Amino acid sequence: MCVSSRLISSPLEYRPNHVVAFIRPKPKQPPNLATFAVPLQFNKLDLRDYLYHAYDVEVTSVRSFINQPAVRQKFGHVGKWYRPRSQKMMIAELVKPFVWPSPPAEEDREKFDHSLFKKMEAEREKHFRRQMDPANIPLRNQVRQSREREGLKAQAEEFLKSGGWTNGQNEGDKWNEVEEELKV
Amino acid sequence: MATSAAIRPSMGALGSRISSSISSAPAPRPLRAAAAAAAAINTQQQTAALSTTAALLKRHKYPGARDNRDNSKHRGESAIRRTGTRWRLSMSDEPLPRPVPKSELPAIETDPDHGLWAFFADRKTVAAAPEEDAKHGRSWSVEELRGKSWDDLHRLWWVCVKERNRIATANWERNKSGLGFGESEAKGRDNEVRATMRSIKHVLTERFYAWEDAVKLAETDPEVNLSGDGPAFTPSEYYEGEEVAGEQEQQVLEAVEETVEKAATPDPATIPSSKQSEAPRL
Repeated sequence: MCVSSRLISSPLEYRPNHVVAFIRPKPKQPPNLATFAVPLQFNKLDLRDYLYHAYDVEVTSVRSFINQPAVRQKFGHVGKWYRPRSQKMMIAELVKPFVWPSPPAEEDREKFDHSLFKKMEAEREKHFRRQMDPANIPLRNQVRQSREREGLKAQAEEFLKSGGWTNGQNEGDKWNEVEEELKV
Repeated sequence: MATSAAIRPSMGALGSRISSSISSAPAPRPLRAAAAAAAAINTQQQTAALSTTAALLKRHKYPGARDNRDNSKHRGESAIRRTGTRWRLSMSDEPLPRPVPKSELPAIETDPDHGLWAFFADRKTVAAAPEEDAKHGRSWSVEELRGKSWDDLHRLWWVCVKERNRIATANWERNKSGLGFGESEAKGRDNEVRATMRSIKHVLTERFYAWEDAVKLAETDPEVNLSGDGPAFTPSEYYEGEEVAGEQEQQVLEAVEETVEKAATPDPATIPSSKQSEAPRL
């Protein structure tokens, strides 16, 4: 099946300033469907012509829909409520199928500094949770102690185990026994 | 009782057939002959072997009448009489194809020259690593682009458009798949591309203004013919004979001055200011 050149008639703009992103398909999406995130003013014919003239990709049909994001606050959980701008998506039916490469494994993501990225992400998430619910104060054993405190604790345990520790205060003549028979 | 109940609809059909034939027939016929004819029609119409319902029994006969579907699915079926099923099943004895699991299907291969590869910075990871992304030069400056032709600028614009699409695809993939860092590097790259695009627009705008000014000047220029008939540019003697002697030059100059005065002095509003007109002539 081939798109006749008759269909593709409208000439491209001279200098379009649009940004079109090619999106990874959903797991069960067949390889003849390609998803794109397009500007809101794009229509189906625009995408068809854009792909044909700029990328030499033939398309049999185009489906489109708009993702409307949920309302959110300006600064996370504070600030004015607003609705972010919608995102138009288009799914093109390709003449030649295109299979995406599978996402790289964890080990292959080291070029993106993936391990540090993940740690930071988890930390940020935790911080965000705490800010969202300030009344939820973590228990003493849930908070990590400082390194000095932990060292002190280990030392104390060692002393308790080995025994024979004195504080150096109750030795010699400094300690006076209280007289037992004291009569007033 | 059962037989009478089963026969009753066909009897009705027979009756209606007879009555209709009687009413429609121009001349009255003997009842026996009419009944025989109706019976003959009935035997012809009845094709299903097991159906005891008359095919001609139809209550509504006007055009567009509703279908008199038999709502009793098992009419005429009997386990005692071993009648079998009434309806013919809509399937054959041919072995049906079995579904193959997706994993056993042959893998679909992508054409290595597929146009959509141009959306990827890297064919394996889609997004380029931040180290690779940061390896970019500066944008084209306006001064450099002034010397370029229209075609060159147009081509460069499309290179920029495709690069921005590549960056947008990588950004989307990095966010959605959680690849890792690289957002700021991509942003830096994008900024350079956008600066180039801005310069291209700047240069083309300059050229457009220069063209506009040239048209305005040509309207008042006696050497230029904008009507479209004949040669567009007919140079006067002054420009051709540069080696003319001093006296002749003086004469020519005077002549040119006269012609310019005659050609009506241009409206001062139409002449662009010196700054505007000088800028595009760079």
